[in-house]
Amino acid sequence: MTDQIATVPTPNALAARLVRAGWLWTIVNSVLSIVIFLALWEALIRLFDVPVWLVPKPSDFLGRFLVDYPEILRNALATSVTLAVGFALGIVIAVPLALLMVSVAAFERGLYPIIVFLNIMPKTVIGPILIIWFGVSPMVSVLVVFLMCFFPILVDSMLGFRAVDPRLQYITRSMGATPWQAFRYVRLPASMGHIFAGLRIGIVKAVEGVIIAEFIGSSQGLGFMIMRASSFMNMELLFCGLVAVAVVALIFNALLATSERIMMPWVRPR
Amino acid sequence: MSIGASINARELTKSYGGGAGAFHALGPIDLDIKPGEFVSLIGPSGCGKSTTMLLVAGLEPPSTGSIAIDGKALTQPITEVGIVFQDHLLLEFRTAMKNVLLQQEIRGLDRAESLERAEHLFARLGLVGAENRYPWQLSGGMRQRVSIARALVHNPSMLLMDEPFGALDAISRTQIRHDLEMLWLETRKTVLFITHSIDEAIGLSDRVFVMSRSPGRIVDEIRIDLPRPRPAHLGEYPDFAAYTKRIYSVFEKLGVYKFD
Repeated sequence: MTDQIATVPTPNALAARLVRAGWLWTIVNSVLSIVIFLALWEALIRLFDVPVWLVPKPSDFLGRFLVDYPEILRNALATSVTLAVGFALGIVIAVPLALLMVSVAAFERGLYPIIVFLNIMPKTVIGPILIIWFGVSPMVSVLVVFLMCFFPILVDSMLGFRAVDPRLQYITRSMGATPWQAFRYVRLPASMGHIFAGLRIGIVKAVEGVIIAEFIGSSQGLGFMIMRASSFMNMELLFCGLVAVAVVALIFNALLATSERIMMPWVRPR
Repeated sequence: MSIGASINARELTKSYGGGAGAFHALGPIDLDIKPGEFVSLIGPSGCGKSTTMLLVAGLEPPSTGSIAIDGKALTQPITEVGIVFQDHLLLEFRTAMKNVLLQQEIRGLDRAESLERAEHLFARLGLVGAENRYPWQLSGGMRQRVSIARALVHNPSMLLMDEPFGALDAISRTQIRHDLEMLWLETRKTVLFITHSIDEAIGLSDRVFVMSRSPGRIVDEIRIDLPRPRPAHLGEYPDFAAYTKRIYSVFEKLGVYKFD
């Protein structure tokens, strides 16, 4: 009988093993490449005797983290809060709207052209308008973040809600499922893969948005700190800001990846 | 309810679209299936077999005609039913057992009782050990077995199957055919079984309805009087050859087969 269970380990054990081995290797690998990169940078600057005001050495600006960490941390925190609020707003509005547009044809016909237009427009041009409306406030950054991540989340969520096999509706209807049950038990989890794909693109866009917004219309956050460091030609702080932005982006990506693993434990390990 | 339901359809037709472009897909057909009977619909592709199943399930409304389940006129999807399609249509995000227990969750049935029934079905269908596996970890045959367990776990009075073994290899098909027959002998639900396979139809059914192509009509009805449970190799019955020959000759008359 060919009908045997495929000899695969249970999903949890397999995933755990892959994750454990993968994590260790990833950490060693990235630490090693960063160390080599920084060492090369340090050596080149020393070799050609480049002044600090032009390009600082890693030893110059890494030291600033120890000295200026309260300021950097405060701004990084401000940026993170803005990012979290704007991104959450994006999810809360884009996912239900996607469902509405997929379910009600009139909504899609009416809204899609507007959405395509807004999507093609560079979102940052809204910044100056937002400053007039809200003044220099965190609201401006939150709204720019929201706009940046809104479209990828919307488009991928729509794709996800559409991709569900329509014959599954036959199955749920014959079970006597209410529309809410059909959504809760079948449609939403079935669309989750696509929604998370949208979130992954969205978070990258959101980080881009928050920094630009803080450049132009904020009195706090890493973007603001970088802009101020630039006008004072404070190269070390500027580079610290750069690293801090990357760290914030990494943390948000990791949070997203972790929540994906928790919310979609069924996904085949890659 | 574990006693099979009766199905009575009168002058059933189904057309898609309207006006001059309307496509007359099915009928008119009459269908009378007794409680606990195993009935197959066999016919070429596009003869309206699948449409018939959807109409009987109340999932699509007939264009004309009426259906009664247990004497009650059908007006909305029946829930006293289990459905199996050619594709397993399992939820990729649920394990095999959780896929089956979806019935319990949506219907709000007693958890312990459903779990017991599910475990019994897993045992009967050779699925022990597969409970906590996701569909991608199962072979095609296993997935279809889980799909059958899902269709039976709530103990419906009727089982509707649309080419359930169509995507399986010949060896799996023979085994799963036997396992389905044994399950049916245990519970005697009414089964409407749609198939392309003459062997499957004769191997499983009490009666076989042969259908013609668009619009689909029932052109022959054959009572299969073979002892149960039926063996893997049906050829040992002389009657089997006679039944097979009769279905082939109907198909030839209909022009399904053209052999020179």
